[in-house]
Amino acid sequence: MNRHFAMQVFWKRHLRRVMLPIGGLVIAGLMLLPIYFTAETSLEPTSALQALSQSLVPSHFIFSNYRVAFDAEHGSIITSLLIASGAVVLSVGLALPAAYGLTKLGYLRSRAVVSVAVMVLLVTQMVPGISLTLAFYKLFYHLHLLNSIAGLILADSTSGMPFATLVLRAYLGSVPVELSDAAYVDGASEWRTFRSVIAPLAVPAIITAGLFVFLFAWGDFLFAYTLTAGGNVTPLTKGILSFFTNNTVNWGPVLATVVLAAIPSGLILSFGQRYVMGGLRAGALKG
Amino acid sequence: MRAKAGANEALAAARTASSSDDGRAPCLVGALPQARSTSPKGARQWLRSHHKQALLAAFVLPALAYVVIFFAYPLTYGITMSLEKIGFIAQSGPFIGLHNYKEEINDPVTGKALVDTGIFLVASIFFQFTIGLGIASYFSRRFFLSGFLRSLIIIPWLFPPIASGTIFAIMFAGQGGIINETLRSLHLISSPIFWFDSSFKAMFVIIFVNVWIGIPFNAVLLYSGLQDIPGELREAAALDGCGPWQRFRYVTVPLLRPVSLIVIMLGVIYTVKTFDLVIVLTNGGPDNGSQLMSTWAYTLAFQNFETGQGAAVANMLFVFCMIVAFFYIRATRREVAIA
Repeated sequence: MNRHFAMQVFWKRHLRRVMLPIGGLVIAGLMLLPIYFTAETSLEPTSALQALSQSLVPSHFIFSNYRVAFDAEHGSIITSLLIASGAVVLSVGLALPAAYGLTKLGYLRSRAVVSVAVMVLLVTQMVPGISLTLAFYKLFYHLHLLNSIAGLILADSTSGMPFATLVLRAYLGSVPVELSDAAYVDGASEWRTFRSVIAPLAVPAIITAGLFVFLFAWGDFLFAYTLTAGGNVTPLTKGILSFFTNNTVNWGPVLATVVLAAIPSGLILSFGQRYVMGGLRAGALKG
Repeated sequence: MRAKAGANEALAAARTASSSDDGRAPCLVGALPQARSTSPKGARQWLRSHHKQALLAAFVLPALAYVVIFFAYPLTYGITMSLEKIGFIAQSGPFIGLHNYKEEINDPVTGKALVDTGIFLVASIFFQFTIGLGIASYFSRRFFLSGFLRSLIIIPWLFPPIASGTIFAIMFAGQGGIINETLRSLHLISSPIFWFDSSFKAMFVIIFVNVWIGIPFNAVLLYSGLQDIPGELREAAALDGCGPWQRFRYVTVPLLRPVSLIVIMLGVIYTVKTFDLVIVLTNGGPDNGSQLMSTWAYTLAFQNFETGQGAAVANMLFVFCMIVAFFYIRATRREVAIA
């Protein structure tokens, strides 16, 4: 009886140790199967109307799909990089002082103003882009901002700026107020306090906010699609779509382009994961 | 996590209470406690504290200007657009009152887009949430590779949606698509399924892809929600003789409620905005059979040159989002209060 029980405990303990990782591998494998398929196909020779191979590993590696993809889309990649970096600069540039101002105003007798501002920022994140883009089109048409990188930076910041402000405010709220008080006592002006004390302290939150703004702008399709109609400014998301609709049978280069478009996400996941996790939780749960 | 957020809130509140009793700036040298009066010193202090507020408002001003120009203005402008007869989007047209709304309410495509958006929402959220919760609870146990695998699962969420849509458009292709090929090699089908030739199948694919994109987001947030539930509670329940299901039902579910509400509402917001997936997978077809409100507004304005009607549809979608936003803000407030 006792021995039987010991056996049970033994099996339970050791089976668990084996079965849990196997189950985890299966779950992750199922989720990542489409991505694996993409990477695999992009490295394989495909020709027109040839059914995709069923093999799990490429029969032989080739990089010609990537050469084709890069030749076709390198302009779009540069355009998207410029737009996404511009959106990061604009969004964080607006959000950091705003977050500082809101945090400090919260310590004064202005909590009502601050909570209204935070609510407005939350609401702006819930405005569907399509409700904005019709008016943007008309506005940009008259301002000659259609088909321009500047116009897309301005439009893409609609998703980045409010999010960045909320993330930065949540972070600045945890910076001890005594720090800026000390700077004040030492005679630093508000601007000086912000620039030399608070901004350097906020670097981790700035990275989080910046990464998210970059991803939002890099992945934006709606504004890229509607505000560049007929023009020669083609962000990568729009480039993928036209590349795909023009190559309905030769998928290798299309999937290679998809892989290129996913590189920023991959880099962020490898090097900035803790920032992403922090932002996800701060943006969603704190507000 | 929630506890931490609560602590921060409490700390901030304590600071506010201690530092702004008299509307003074905190820790001002020489700012002695003093009744606000008409005495010169009091007036000067009042001015000084409000000077500080004005200065801080200047920090907020650029962001405020951006919100006004890029949210308030386009949204009000969208209302006037929906009340005009506009053909090409950059032109203006005569005022026609609510005619565009009447036209759209009577349009069967709008009706179908509305219903499809509803189905898309409910189905996406249901599967994203339940699968996400399953994954979150699986990974809430610690095991070899658990941290690594958990981080891999986020990848689909970080992909640009248009890239994910392209991957699945190729996988679901009628001729040579890997899904048809796999089904055929398993002898489940004899001839290829053309996934995009009926409204039903097209909607199925769009929902399928959106669920795939949404699972990581749900799993990550629910995972952090599960981590916040103190293990002692489950241990206590186990000591009281609760089985795993009862522990889940009577301990985990109630404590996960606030996080779940927020996750679901954010899911609704992201899902109702969906645009790119439809464009790349079906482009609204066949025969407008898979239009959502967002793509239908786009099609009306940019392809059918019925901008006024497109604006009307976009505004309907906007109103729906604002209703969800109202409940979201109420839920987050309660969440903060609970924490």
